[in-house]
Formats: sequence, structure tokens, C-alpha cells
Amino acid sequence: MTSILSRAAIAGGCLLALTAGSAIAQEMAKPDGFGDRPITIIVPYGAGGGSDQLTRAMASAMEEVSDLSFQVVNKPGGGGTAAIPDFMLARADGYTIMEAIDDAVSAYASGEIRENPAEDWIPLCMAQITFNQLYIRSDDERFSDWESFVAYAKDNPGEVSIANVGKAKSMERISMDQLEEVVGIETKQISFDKPAERYGALIGGHVDALFEQPGDVRNFLEAGQMKPIVTFLNERPELFSDTPTIREVGAEFEPLTRFRGFYVKAGTPEDRVAYLEAVCEAGFNTESFQNFNKDKFMDVIDSYRDREGAVELINNAAQTYKEKFAEMSN
Amino acid sequence: MDLFFGGTLALFGSFHTSLIFALGLVGGMLFGAIPGVNMLTLGAVLLPFTATMDPTEAVMLFSVIYCAGVFGGAITAILFNIPGAPENAPTCFDGYPMTQKGEAGKAIGAAVMCSAVGGVASAILMMTATGLVASFAIRSFGPPEIFALIFFGLAVSASIGAKTLWKGWLSVFAGLLIATVGTDPVAGVPRFNEGSFFGLQYQSYYLSAGIHFIPMILGFFAVSEVLAQSINISKGTRERPKAALDFPSLAEFWRVRFTMLRSIVIGFFSGVLPGIGATLAAFLGYSQAQRWSKNGKNFGKGELEGVVASETANNSATGAAMIPLLALGLPGGALTAMIMGIFQIHGMEPGPLIFINSSDLVWVTFAAMFWANVAIIGLGWVQTKTVVHILRIPFRWLAPGILMLATVGAFGLRNLMIDVWVMFLAGVVGYFLRATGYSAAGIVLGLILGKLGESAFAKSMQLMDFNLLGFFERPIAAILILLGLAAIVTSIVSEIRGKEIQKALLD
Repeated sequence: MTSILSRAAIAGGCLLALTAGSAIAQEMAKPDGFGDRPITIIVPYGAGGGSDQLTRAMASAMEEVSDLSFQVVNKPGGGGTAAIPDFMLARADGYTIMEAIDDAVSAYASGEIRENPAEDWIPLCMAQITFNQLYIRSDDERFSDWESFVAYAKDNPGEVSIANVGKAKSMERISMDQLEEVVGIETKQISFDKPAERYGALIGGHVDALFEQPGDVRNFLEAGQMKPIVTFLNERPELFSDTPTIREVGAEFEPLTRFRGFYVKAGTPEDRVAYLEAVCEAGFNTESFQNFNKDKFMDVIDSYRDREGAVELINNAAQTYKEKFAEMSN
Repeated sequence: MDLFFGGTLALFGSFHTSLIFALGLVGGMLFGAIPGVNMLTLGAVLLPFTATMDPTEAVMLFSVIYCAGVFGGAITAILFNIPGAPENAPTCFDGYPMTQKGEAGKAIGAAVMCSAVGGVASAILMMTATGLVASFAIRSFGPPEIFALIFFGLAVSASIGAKTLWKGWLSVFAGLLIATVGTDPVAGVPRFNEGSFFGLQYQSYYLSAGIHFIPMILGFFAVSEVLAQSINISKGTRERPKAALDFPSLAEFWRVRFTMLRSIVIGFFSGVLPGIGATLAAFLGYSQAQRWSKNGKNFGKGELEGVVASETANNSATGAAMIPLLALGLPGGALTAMIMGIFQIHGMEPGPLIFINSSDLVWVTFAAMFWANVAIIGLGWVQTKTVVHILRIPFRWLAPGILMLATVGAFGLRNLMIDVWVMFLAGVVGYFLRATGYSAAGIVLGLILGKLGESAFAKSMQLMDFNLLGFFERPIAAILILLGLAAIVTSIVSEIRGKEIQKALLD
């Protein structure tokens, strides 16, 4: 085992040597005394999942463009909240970064966590932004597109089942609620906590439709087993130019998106934050990371936000969630 | 058959690929054997490097790690009562008592052979029936069927490791209760995460994440065992286990042939269902062996058949877990998800088209899993002759090592120190539970299956408009639930009758 690891390390070393002295090092001086030891990136989800894959791809891209080294640590549990205490206990010195997704924003808006991602944390960058779609089986005989789906749902109120995530205050469930309200249909939301079960339920015929992001079901789309019937965006992305958007079917709400980014704690010295922001951006723009995002369908819409853009994205989402939660509790 | 030879040739065709095969095998086994690091740790470390590897080599490496990793956890289970992974927990029930009887070599030998046989059999089944089985499983097993299967599993396994049926059920219910701590799977409502305990206010992110079964397993099995042994030493009643190196004889294997066969079938079908997998397979394999075996009464006291049942079933589940992955693109667990990632990195999508588009790669996977399981026999034989010597180390030196391994295991799960405290607490509680005839295994089983079962039950209820009788409108679910109920009734009847017979004898 040691030999395979050391072989890997040598390969990694060569890669670093080849790209040493790259963009970031020239553009921006490393703050004094920073980056001498490895920087920890906490992933609040398990190994192998979407956040984990993103973080590992981003860590190696950032190592490519700087002489920092990163160590990825998974702390899954509690839908991403179990890692927060550890992150908050770490010193605000830039040596602890946390990956977080929009769930942290809805958890803040609902009061489940106390920390405001836009204020108590500093976003370094967003590296993945994607949108939702509703999918049906391609060979379903009852409906084949949005119009026939809505017609069927109206003929059978409360009968159509949609595989979705469980949590009532999640981005997924709220988006679906908003759409149902606009269109005037009533469906059954079935709580699937594991993604594979969600997809299997649609393919196996246990549910009628699936709420998901396109990157996660790419193989089913390409194999022609599933097809999107509506896109939760204001404008049709080129890749899904045949699928109507929620705006076209009458929605006036601002669609919520899934975003994944990297944060340090508020109070981290400004020069270190600025340096890490620059490293994050340079890492995002490496060819290897671009290819990674392309494979995940994360190039369908612009996936990058810098610190200001990220704060704006978070604040807008938090606003939408707060309004929706206030409505729900009435 | 040509395809299989093609895959085999790709594996061993060059020195380079053979070397990767060997490294994957040893690496998977080591990482599987040490609690705290597991094959996932190894997989996550290696995953980024697969991008630059040849796709054949990358897929082969991960398939081999997967097979070897599931086997590796059996060794610490048998020698120290530390299951390397949850699917090895039932291996402890008889494997560890065998070690204490001085039959460690036999237990490890049986684990080796059965892992290999289970794995090879499931690899063969996988090669012949992937497409067929996958579409059957995905269509026939919806949430109601999965709930019914879990109900059946609990019903038949309830009395494992307990002194009486009632204590067994109480243990299982305690596990089910612990499983309700944390965020619920339906609406994401946190449960038991805040409140007051004897006037002490508490609020905890840890509890909203739920209590994980890994620290519980390590506490109940490893820590409580160290406590029990230490108390025996201080009383002067402990005998040091002999480090015997005997390999089980062919005759012994022949005697358990039906158990093996049964476990292969159970393992295969549990493995096919995404998300159920090897743990339920091992528990079901074990409890069914206990039910049908002539030596059922000796289970838990060091019966070779128990080790056979559990290890055959969990390795048989590995091949089966590849079926939904390859044929449908549905990974059942984290490691299969990584294998899917490798396919994707190299521009291939697991799913119905993969047999047409990348048939050669699929056959490399099949061949790698087949040969990895064959190779386990060789490697395992060597291990039987070597690792057993660890038992010669005096327990006062061994015990800190065991506790350290367990601590690393609990911490490594999600890098949380609280998990370590939970483990030690479970160790102390586990010691008293075992001393009073309750079953630590029952609690763990209730905890693991409780979480899976609650989620399946909630989905079923949502799908069937909250109609409980809906289960009986679906044939597979109905049969499983009826079988489960029958198992409960017969076990209660035989428990009561058993008491009467004993009384009659006493009179």
C-alpha cells in the first residue's frame, strides 16, 4: 500500500513542480507567515458525495495554482450541520476552510443554525451553481411533456407522486411548493433521503416524477430513460432549449438554486482572505477543474461567484427562504 | 465466456496491471481490517489519481479494494471482537468465542474460505444475470417491499445473542429507540436534540445528527469485552486463549454446505437492493443459519457455522451491489458511488447502455471481482498462519492496543471527539447488559435496521396514502410481513413451551 501512495505522491509532486510559479504566485504575494502548514477543508458531508468530490477537485486545482497544501476532512451528519461546531471552534486564521451548500442558508433562515453564512462566515468563492428540473420517465404513456403532465395531475388531484428530498424546509421542497401553487396542481411529495433510491423509484415505476438537478441524473438523461419537463430558471439554458422554464408556465417567483462554495470564519485577517479568494478563483479557472465541472453539468449556467457575488447570492436566497417560512408558519 | 477471458487477460496481461491488482488486494484488506480507516478512506485518497490512470486499471483497482475490504473486517472481529465494518458484526458472535476456545485459526480459516466462496458465487451470478436481476429488483422492490424485508429481518433476528427471547426483544427495541434520536427522515424534524434532563438544559448539533452505529458497535463489542476480560484477570479467572493455527478441514466445510448456499442466496438478494446491502445480508444470513441449523443452540458460543453464515453472506452481497450500479447507474453505497465516479471521469456512464458502449470494461470489473475473491483464499491462508500469533501477546499489552484501535475507529468516523465518549459509554453499558443476559447485538441490529426501516416505512405510508393495509395489497411485501409475523409467533410459542419443559424436568 505504501508504495502505491508514495507513487501517487511522486506523481502529485511532479505535477506541482511543472506548474510551480504559476498565475497566482506571480499576481499576488502570499501573506507573511501564512500557508506554511496544510490548510484543512471541512466537508460537512460524507466521502464520495457531491460536496466531497467538488472539494477534492477544488483542493487539487488550488494546489496546482499556489504552493498551499490542503487536507480534506469529512464530518458528515445532521444534513450538514454536525460539522459547524468544529468549524466555529477553529481559530479564525485562514487554516480552516469549510465547504457549504445552500442548505446552510435555509437552515439559518429557519433558525436551525445560528450562524449567518453571509456574516458569520466569509465566502471565498462559489464553485458550483446549478438549478432544478422536474423529470419523468421517457416511456411514460400517461404524459410526455409539461402540458400533458399538468393535465394528468389536474384529472387526478393528489394522486401524482413526486420523489423529492424529505426535509420540509429545504430548497427542493420549497421550490416544488411554489410551483404547485402557481400551476394549481396538488401532488404527493415522497421523502427519499438517499439520491440513488430517488432515481431508482422513478426508473422502477414507484413514483411518477422526480425533482432533481441535472448533473445528478446525467446518465439517465443521456441513456434516454428520463426527460426534463420543466426547468426552474428564468431563461432556457442552451442545453435544455426544448424544455419550458417556470417563468413560461406562469411562475413569478425567483427560482432557488443549489450552490456550493468555500468559507472561512469571520475575523480571519483580511490579507489572508484576499489571498485565499484569489487562489480560489485561479483554481476554478484551471483546465482540470473546468473539465470536472463540465462533467457534472455545472457549466450549463455560470457556476462562479466571487466574494461579493456569493454574499449577494446568499442574501437573496436567505430573503426568499425567510419570506416562505413566515408564510408557512401562518 | 470469451468476454470473461478478455477481462482476465486485461487484468494479468502485463506486470503493471498484476501489480495494481496485488496492491489493491493488500490495501483493501489492510484498510478493511483496521477500524477507523476503511476501504472508503483508501478509495477517497486514491480517487483523484484515477483520472490519470487507464480506465481499465482504475476500475479494476476499486473493484478489488471493494472485495478485499469487506473481507478484511472479519479478522479483527474474530481476534479482538472489533468488527472492522458493520457487516462484520455478526462474525463477532461466534468468531470471537472461537478465539477464546483456542480456535482462532479455524475461525479465520472459515472466514477466508467463506468470503471467497460467497464472493466468487456472487461474481458468477453477476456475470450471468446482471441485466435481468437489476430490472427485476428495481421494479419489484419499492419502499413497501424494502420495509417488509427489514421487518422480516428484525423478526427473525430478534433473539440473537440474548439469554431469553424477551431480553432479546427488549434489546432490539432499545436499539430501535436509539435510532429515533436525530433528524427524522420524513420532514427533517430534529428529535431529542434539545430539552432538559434532570433540570439540565441541553441543545446539541451532535444529537440532531443522530447516534451513529459505529461508535455503538465499537463500544458494545470491543470496549465492553476489554472490560469483561480485565475484570476476569483481576479475579484471576481468565484463561489466555491458545493461538491455534489449524485450518478448518474439508469435512467441516462439507458439514456447513447448506448454510453456505443459503447465505449466498440471502447475501445476493440483499446486496441487489440499493442501500440495504451487506449489513442486513450478514445479520439475515446469521439468523437464518441459527434457525435452520441442528446446532442452533450453540450459536453465540463459538460455532463455526455462525462465522460461515455471516461471512459468506456479506461477501456475496458485494457482487450483487455492483448489479444496480452497472445496469441502472444506481450506486448502493459510498464505495460503489466512487466506482461510478471513475466510470464518469473516463467519460462512461453506468446504466443500461454500458453493456453496449463499454462492454470490455464491465467484464474487467467482473473478472477483477472474481479473481480478487479467489486471491483472498491464498492471502487469507497466509494470514491464518501469521496474524493468529498476535494472541500470544499478553492481554495487558494487547488491551491498550484494542482500545486505541477502537478509539481511532470511533473518532475516524466523522472526526468528532464526542463519538469516542459515546463509544466508551456504550462500552460500560454494554458490559452490564451482557452480564445480565441482554444482547448488545440486538441493540446494534435495532439501531441499524431502525433507521433504514423508518425511512422505508415513511416512504411507503406517503405512497400508499397512509393506509397500513396497503402492505397486504402488494404480494412480495405481504409474504415477507406474514413470514415475519409467523417467526415472531413461533418463537414466542417455543419460548413458553421451552420453559414448561424445563419446569417439568425440574419437578
